[in-house]
Amino acid sequence: MKRLSIFLIVIMLITGMTLEGVAEEKEAVTYWHTMGDAEEEALKKVIEMFEEQYPNIKIKPTRMAYDDFKPALLIGIAGGVVPDTARLDIIWVPEFAEIRALVALDEEMEGFDEIIANTYPGPTSTNFWKGHYYGLPQDTNTQVLVWNKQMFEEAGLSGPPETIDEFVKYAAVLSNPDEEIYGYTMGGTYFWAPASIFYAMGGEVTDSEITTAIGYINGEKSVAAYQVLVDMYRDESLSPLLLGGGGIGAFEGLATGKYAMIIEGPWAHPILKSDYPEFEVNFALVPRGPDVTTSSVVGGQNVVIFEGSQHKDEAMLWAKFLLSEEAQLTIGETGAIPTLSTVQGNERLPEYYDVFMEQLKTAKARVPHPKWAEMDNAINNAYQYMLRDEKTVQQALDDAAEEINRLIIEE
Amino acid sequence: MEVKNKILDKSFLKKILSSKGAYLLLLPGMGLFFTFILFPLIYSLRMSFYKWNIVDIGASKFIGFSNYVRVINDPIFIRATLNTIVYTLITVPGQILFALVVAILLNQKIKGRTFFRVAYYIPVITSWVVVTFLFEYFFGSQAGLVNFILKDMLHLVDKKIMWLTDPILVMIPLNLLGIWKGVGWSAIILLAALQNIPLDLYEAATIDGAGIWHKITKITLPLIRPTLVFLVVVLVIGGFNVYVSGLLMTKGGNPLDLSHFILTLMYKKTFTNLDFGYGSAISYLLAAFIFMVSVIEIKLLRRKVEY
Repeated sequence: MKRLSIFLIVIMLITGMTLEGVAEEKEAVTYWHTMGDAEEEALKKVIEMFEEQYPNIKIKPTRMAYDDFKPALLIGIAGGVVPDTARLDIIWVPEFAEIRALVALDEEMEGFDEIIANTYPGPTSTNFWKGHYYGLPQDTNTQVLVWNKQMFEEAGLSGPPETIDEFVKYAAVLSNPDEEIYGYTMGGTYFWAPASIFYAMGGEVTDSEITTAIGYINGEKSVAAYQVLVDMYRDESLSPLLLGGGGIGAFEGLATGKYAMIIEGPWAHPILKSDYPEFEVNFALVPRGPDVTTSSVVGGQNVVIFEGSQHKDEAMLWAKFLLSEEAQLTIGETGAIPTLSTVQGNERLPEYYDVFMEQLKTAKARVPHPKWAEMDNAINNAYQYMLRDEKTVQQALDDAAEEINRLIIEE
Repeated sequence: MEVKNKILDKSFLKKILSSKGAYLLLLPGMGLFFTFILFPLIYSLRMSFYKWNIVDIGASKFIGFSNYVRVINDPIFIRATLNTIVYTLITVPGQILFALVVAILLNQKIKGRTFFRVAYYIPVITSWVVVTFLFEYFFGSQAGLVNFILKDMLHLVDKKIMWLTDPILVMIPLNLLGIWKGVGWSAIILLAALQNIPLDLYEAATIDGAGIWHKITKITLPLIRPTLVFLVVVLVIGGFNVYVSGLLMTKGGNPLDLSHFILTLMYKKTFTNLDFGYGSAISYLLAAFIFMVSVIEIKLLRRKVEY
């Protein structure tokens, strides 16, 4: 049944495309993304600008849900139906490059070197896999601390925590589990959620050459980082929301006084502002670990061109256009931090980006590896085992290290 | 006269069969069947014997029964199978039992009978996605209705129960949902069967002094036996194919892949981990298993009905 419905979807896509192909004489470039409402509005403006400049090309954007995006692309690749271009999470690029689904832009895109000369090296490097660049950095982000000022004031705290020790203490003071009020919450157990605390405490997943995880994910600092979170969970200063199961969402809880602190990306601002206009959004750097300054995790998205594209030339123009100053600023106004260094500090960009730009200086990237999704899963499982008290932090991370090493060797 | 007619019919039939027109008429239907059912079926059988490479199909390696061996030895698959069997063992009798009660009640001459028939059938035609979200809301940990009733209204528990994040507890809403959503359909089928029972049998039984219990066990149940067999077979197949509710409520097997059903695991292995060979092997094992179970059910349950 499942198989049948997938084939039907593929057929629907094929027929949908040809029907539209007949109706329009212009070359249509498809572009799949996972933007939020505000970004999508900005994208419409960017598309208008592009189509004005290139009247013979039409951009057809498709918004996908983040969780469905990768499966949809993979099913598309299997069925030979792919979009021309897409905005991929940076962590997916090695995986798609490895299965040869992406065009190596450093080889095929005219003027590639000039474009990346103006981008930040960190986000650009996430496009690199086995000697080639498979995309252009479209936007970048990281997570910072978002705190509820009113709750802090009521608890007699003057400002956000600056160290992890303070963070743990404040969270305990701010919590009242009987009323389901918690000092800190995170949205899940997948690696992105605890990653900022993990990196701030000096945690590492593998060595920099990605040859082993042993001594890294189960190293002293990584273990200490997870121990802090597990202890907070036991003390009920970290909400059980991370296990899922229908709790109050992180943004909702933060704005309504259920959670005092969350660690989130720049999209927190537009989301909170539109859903809770009265709420005062306050950002701060991720608290410092024992010997690291501060750190966080690098996120972001890259625009890629698929090998199966029938309109590669037009797709190249579109990808380049997304890296133009005008496009970067237009989308940048809505919570997606530009990757062009030439627009840094531009007055059109929101002021709250300052703290994110500061945090990005010390933020770390997750392991750029085609098997990252499975590595993430191994660490996610380890975290679950710890929280459920089925393994100690050390045991759980020892097992995760072995699993990750198996994945590295398979590669 | 009769003989002549038969000959006429035969030659007429022959004419149709021999003409190519018949095949032409069959073509669209068969075309769809071959393209969308038979071809994918055979193709995935082939996949199940390969280490399948989705992008470069030529680079796929034939590995014999390795995928099947991997599936059978995978503790996650075994857990998923157990979850699915338990789900089937609970929801099939659950649905039939409630459906029988509902059907018997709906078969009485009561006021608003049509309304109740519609009411019981509404869950059946409602989308799985919608009702799964509804149950998720009922059983949510912090803001869920069930926890509110248990803790805040009745004070039966001290702490809110984490229904959806425990691999065993999550089976409770899933099974309840499976029963609730299926009752209406089974009830309608049973109702049709009940209405075929001649009323004079009950009248005769009443004259003989039989009570309600005797009427149900001696008249109703034996006479609807073929329908019950049909329901058991169809519902068991449905039970083994449980998918949407599990996928949504457990977010694809959370926590730790312990709450999978066979099909959610198949989907995850195939489309998340890209292990197409493994996924196909699961599908074929499931199909073989369902076929076996169905044959056994029919053999065991189908006895001749004696009036």
